[in-house]
Amino acid sequence: MNSKNDHFSRLTVAWLALVALTLVSLGLSEWFRDARWLPLLVAAIIWFKGALVARCFIESHVAHPFIARVLSVFVAMSPLALIATAFFGGTLARWASL
Amino acid sequence: MDYFPPSAVDLQPVDGHQGRCQPPPEQCKFPHRPPTMTAAALPAEPPACPESPCRIPGNKGIWAGITCEFVEFGVLFAVYFIARSHFPQAFHDGAQRLSVTAGTVITLLMITSSYFIACSVNAIRQDKHRPAVIWLIAGLVVALGYPLTKALEIDWNLAHGINGESGIFFTVYYYLTFTHLVHATWGILGILWVLARLSFRGYSSEDYAGLEALASYWHATDIIWLVIFPLFYVLA
Repeated sequence: MNSKNDHFSRLTVAWLALVALTLVSLGLSEWFRDARWLPLLVAAIIWFKGALVARCFIESHVAHPFIARVLSVFVAMSPLALIATAFFGGTLARWASL
Repeated sequence: MDYFPPSAVDLQPVDGHQGRCQPPPEQCKFPHRPPTMTAAALPAEPPACPESPCRIPGNKGIWAGITCEFVEFGVLFAVYFIARSHFPQAFHDGAQRLSVTAGTVITLLMITSSYFIACSVNAIRQDKHRPAVIWLIAGLVVALGYPLTKALEIDWNLAHGINGESGIFFTVYYYLTFTHLVHATWGILGILWVLARLSFRGYSSEDYAGLEALASYWHATDIIWLVIFPLFYVLA
């Protein structure tokens, strides 16, 4: 048996981390509902969970550069947009007005 | 013996060595080198070993599809953020009316089915055929919980007077989550197909590109849900 190819423990740790982060984000929404910095923390959790799936499940770190870039850009896009909307929502609305 | 013909997730290269371990392709070693052949004449590259740098998880066809899926959801998320910047109060109030339980259950189902399917790929790489089938069946069963939970959530929404005309937040919520459900349904159909091929020993440690292509698509759909969940259920 080639144990070098067995990534079961790594996959399990990633899954547990994803479950824990999901539950933590629920707690955050309940405890810090009106905190101004909540979108910043939620954005960080979105990015970390996406990066975790990309790295541990898709193995983006050993994938073709195009695939790695597509994943990196998509995972980073929403957290950045969330921060922009939370802290510069008025400016964004002006730019996006017809 | 392989009883099933290849499908969209089983695009076969012209040399028939799908999924076999090969050194990284020359184009990957020198990504900026211009190709010396036209795309039409270029034979498909067999994927490299699991640990090789620059490998293509699954096959090129599925990554063309996943890239299109990311572009589609990128546009939908842009609409979400533009609407949110225009109507911050509607988005703040709207999220408090949704069922957080349904959103959390769907998230846990997506994460868990993704994990089970990743374990199936991990098993087939070691030529553990039976565990690979069991992990994939587990992934399918858990994945089927998503449309079921979504149906219950819509029922709950309608009982609480939430429909597509309840305001800008709910309009965005319905078209984004329905679009994701459609993509997940394609993924579930893909799991059924790959499971049928795997059951008849259509994949092995030498040739598992179809299974890995399906897994890549499901993980990509999982990543999209991991963005949707906090935007609609957490940021109340």
